[in-house]
Amino acid sequence: MSFLAPFFLLLAGAAAVPLLLHLLRRNVSARIDFPAARYLQRAEREHSRSLRLRNLLLMLLRVLLLIALALAAARPFVRGFGSGHGATAVAVVLDNSLSTTAVSGGQPVFEQLRAGARAVLLAATPADRLWLVTADGRLQAGTREMLLAELARVAPVEGAGDLPLAFARASAAVTAASLPSHVVAVATDGQRSAWNTERRSPDAVTVLAPSAGPPPNRAVASVEAQPSRWTPRGSMIARVASSDSTGYRVVIGERTAARGVAARDEAISLRLAPPERGWQAGRIELEPDDFPADDARHFAVWIGAPPSVSAETSAGSFIATAVATLGADGRVARGVGITIGSADAVAALPALLLPPADPVRLGAANRALARLGVPWRYGALDTSSTMAHGDRLEGVSISRRFRLVRQGSTSADTLAVAGGEPWIVAGPGYVLLGSQVDPVATNLPLRASFLPWLADALGQRLGAPAGDVGAPISATPSEMIAVPAGVDGLESEAGARRSISGDRITAPAERGVWFLLRAGRRVGAIVVEAPEAESDLARIPADRLAARLAVAGARGVTTPNALARSTFALGSSHPASTPLLLLAFLLLAAEAVAVRASRSTAA
Amino acid sequence: MESSAVRADLQDPAALASLGHLEVVARWVVDGFLSGLHRSPRKGFSVEFADFRPYQPGDDLRYVDWKIAARSDRWVVKQYEEETNLRATLILDVSRSMDWRGAPAAERLTKRAYAEQLTAALALLLLRQRDAVGLVRFDDDVRTSVPPRARTTQWRRILGALAERSGGRASDVGAALAQAARLVTRRGMIILLSDLLVDVDAALPALRGLRAAGHDVTVLHVMDPAERSFTLAGEAQFADPETELAVPASGADVRAAYDRTVSTVIDEWRTALGAMGARYELVLTDQAYAVPLRRAFDARQRRP
Repeated sequence: MSFLAPFFLLLAGAAAVPLLLHLLRRNVSARIDFPAARYLQRAEREHSRSLRLRNLLLMLLRVLLLIALALAAARPFVRGFGSGHGATAVAVVLDNSLSTTAVSGGQPVFEQLRAGARAVLLAATPADRLWLVTADGRLQAGTREMLLAELARVAPVEGAGDLPLAFARASAAVTAASLPSHVVAVATDGQRSAWNTERRSPDAVTVLAPSAGPPPNRAVASVEAQPSRWTPRGSMIARVASSDSTGYRVVIGERTAARGVAARDEAISLRLAPPERGWQAGRIELEPDDFPADDARHFAVWIGAPPSVSAETSAGSFIATAVATLGADGRVARGVGITIGSADAVAALPALLLPPADPVRLGAANRALARLGVPWRYGALDTSSTMAHGDRLEGVSISRRFRLVRQGSTSADTLAVAGGEPWIVAGPGYVLLGSQVDPVATNLPLRASFLPWLADALGQRLGAPAGDVGAPISATPSEMIAVPAGVDGLESEAGARRSISGDRITAPAERGVWFLLRAGRRVGAIVVEAPEAESDLARIPADRLAARLAVAGARGVTTPNALARSTFALGSSHPASTPLLLLAFLLLAAEAVAVRASRSTAA
Repeated sequence: MESSAVRADLQDPAALASLGHLEVVARWVVDGFLSGLHRSPRKGFSVEFADFRPYQPGDDLRYVDWKIAARSDRWVVKQYEEETNLRATLILDVSRSMDWRGAPAAERLTKRAYAEQLTAALALLLLRQRDAVGLVRFDDDVRTSVPPRARTTQWRRILGALAERSGGRASDVGAALAQAARLVTRRGMIILLSDLLVDVDAALPALRGLRAAGHDVTVLHVMDPAERSFTLAGEAQFADPETELAVPASGADVRAAYDRTVSTVIDEWRTALGAMGARYELVLTDQAYAVPLRRAFDARQRRP
C-alpha cells in the first residue's frame, strides 16, 4: 500500500480518542444530578455483560471509523486490488548486448526479449508512465506508441553494454515518478557475467529470462599478434574456448594465412611471415555455432621488412655480436637505417645511443644529444651497484652508469630504472642507455633476455616508420578511448574513412580493426572487440536474478506474456479512497444501528 | 360543551404554572376537569335537595328540572346536598429527589411542583365532593400533618401546608405512611404522591399495613420523563442528590439498559402493589393533570 498524501495518516491518531474515552470513562469529572442514579447503577449491574460488549463494539466501530477516514484522506493505493491495473511507472530494461544474439529455439534470444518488452508496452494504459532503457545506455521516456516505435528500432549491439547501469537508470526513473506503483521490467538473457551488480532496486522488479540453458558455444577468447610489429615474422597467439575440437582459420588482410584444428580449450600459437606490408587487419575464425558473434576475433599488426642496423665500434663487442646474431636470424639487416653506438659518435637518428667509454667524451656526447634533439643528457657517473627494473630487464645488475637527466618537458618512455632513476629511456627515433653494454658496467649482455630485448628495441622502437603510434589500441564497442596526437581519421577494413578530432573519441560500435590515419597514412590501429566475458553464456535463472535485483516484490518469468502480466500485477495499485469511504460509511451505519438497536430494545 | 383547548386540566403543566399561583391553577384544573365529566359527580350519593343551577353540557339529563324548562324555557339542574362519607389523606413526598427536573424550567416542572399542583387539585376535587381531605408531607421525617376535614377552609389549610419548606434529604416513606394511618382512624382513602426513590423494604410493609387496615391505597408514581427514558447525553458521574450515589456512565451507552431497568422497576411496583390490592399509576411530569386526576377520581368513584 502506498499513499499520495501520507501526512493525513496522522489523523489516524484520532482513533486513540474513543479508545482513551473507553479506558478512562471511569475517571470522568463531570457530575450531573440525577435522582434515579440507583436505576442507572442497577442497569449497569444487571446488563454489565451486554453493556461491556456493546461498549467494546461501539469503541471498535468508532476506532475503525476514524482509521478508515484517516486512510481515505491519505489517498492510499493498494496493490492487487480491483480489476485491471492502476497507474504504474514502468521502466523496461531491454538487454541488447552481444550475448542476446545467441540462437535459442530457432531464433535469437534478443527477439524473445524484444517480444517481452513489446508485451509490457502493449499492456500499458495511457495512465501509465513508460521508459525504455537498453543495455547500450539509451533511455527514452514516452507514450506507449513512441516506445513501441523505438523498440522496433533497437538492435543488438556488438559489445556487452552496461546492464547494471541501465538497470540503475531505470530504477531511478521509476522511483522519481509520482505514480503510486513503480516497476522495473527487465528482459535479459540472464548472462551471469553481465549481471555482476549488487545494487538493488527499492521498487518491484520483474525479470524475463529464457528458461532454456545457453547453447554450446565455441569462442575465440583472445587473440594478439606478438610482437605488434612483424619484421616480417611474428606470432599470432590465440586462445580458443570450446568444449570440443574445432577448426580454425587465420586471415590476414583478405588472405587466409593459416588453417588448423584446435583441441578443447587449446592455445593456438602460429609463427607467420606474411607477405603483406604496413598495418594489416587479421582475424581468427572458428566453425560457426549458435552464438556466431564470438566465432571470430580480430587483431592488428604492422608488417614490414627487418630494420637495417649498423653497429659502431663504440657500441662494443657484445652489441656487434648480438646484431650479427639477429642478422643471421633475419630479424635485422645490415644497413644504415638504425645506428648503434656511443652518443658522441652518432650523427643521425634513429639510433640506439650508449654513453661514451671514456668519461672525457661525456661533454661531446651531451652536445651530440642536443644536436640530435634527444631531450636527455648524461649526468654524473654512479658506480654504486644497483638492480634494474623494466620489461625483460628485471634482475639486471648495474655497477656503472651515468645518470640520465631530462631536458625540458618532452614526453619520453622510461624502459628501465635503476636506483629509482631512469636507466634506459626511449623517444621518437632513439633509445638511450645509461650504461655501456659491457660486463664492466652491467651484466645485461650476459643475460638471456638481452637478445630479445635488443630485437624489440630495434624492431619495435626504432624500426617503425616515422610517425607510427606503436602497438594497436584495444577497445570495446563504443568505448571512450584516447587516441595519439595528430591522428585525424579512421579507416575501416573495407576502406571506409571518417574524420575524427580531439584526444578522446568513442570507439566504433562495430567490432573489427580500424586503422588510425594521420594525413591519410595508416599510423596505428584500433581493435574493437567485445569483452572476453561476453562469450561466457552461463545464465542466472529469472527467479534468482529478480531476487538479486529487488529488495521486495521480485518475480521471474520465462515468457513474454508472463512478463507483461507479472509487471502490472506487481504494480497494480488502485486508489482505495472510495472503498475506504464506503467502509467508513458502513461503519458509521453499523454504529448508528448498534446505538439505535439498543434504544429500540429499551422501548 | 367546553372545548378541550381551554380546559386547564388538559394543558401543559409547565405552561399552566406560569399563568398563576398554585391555588388559581388548582381551581382551573378542577373546574376544567369537572366540566369535562359527562356525569354529575354527585350521582349515587345519598342526597337532599339544595339548589338549582344552570344546565351545563355534561350534566346528566335526569337531573334537569323539566317543569321549570316547560314553564320558563330555561334549563336548570337540581343540586343536592351530600353527606360526607370519605376520609382521604394525600401523602406527598417532598424529599430532595423530588426537586429535580430533566428539562429547563420553562419547559417542565420539578416533580415536587407537579406533585404539589396535583395535590392541590385533588384536595379541591375531593372537598367539592364533601369528602374530608388531609395532607401528610414527608422527606426523611414527617414535615406536615394536616388531619382530614371536610370544611370549606380545609383547602386553604392544605394550600398553606404545601407552601411550607422542607429541609430533609431522603424519603422516609414508612414513617409518613404510619403517620397517615394514625390520622385516618376510619377506613379511608390514601393517595401517595412520590417518585418512589425510597427504601422499598420499608415502603411495601407500610403500604401493606394500610391495606390491612382497610384503606384504599393509590400510589401515584411521579417521574420526570428524563427518568423514564434516559435522555441525558455525555459522559459524566450521575449522582443521586439524596444518597450521593454517583454512577459513571455514558448516556448513549447505558440508555437502552437503563430504560429496560426502569421498565422492570415499574413492573415490580405495579406487581407488588397490585398483589396487596393497591392501585399504582405512573405519572409523568409532562402529562396534563387530567390524566392523574382521572385515575384518582376513578378510585374515588369506586368507593361506596
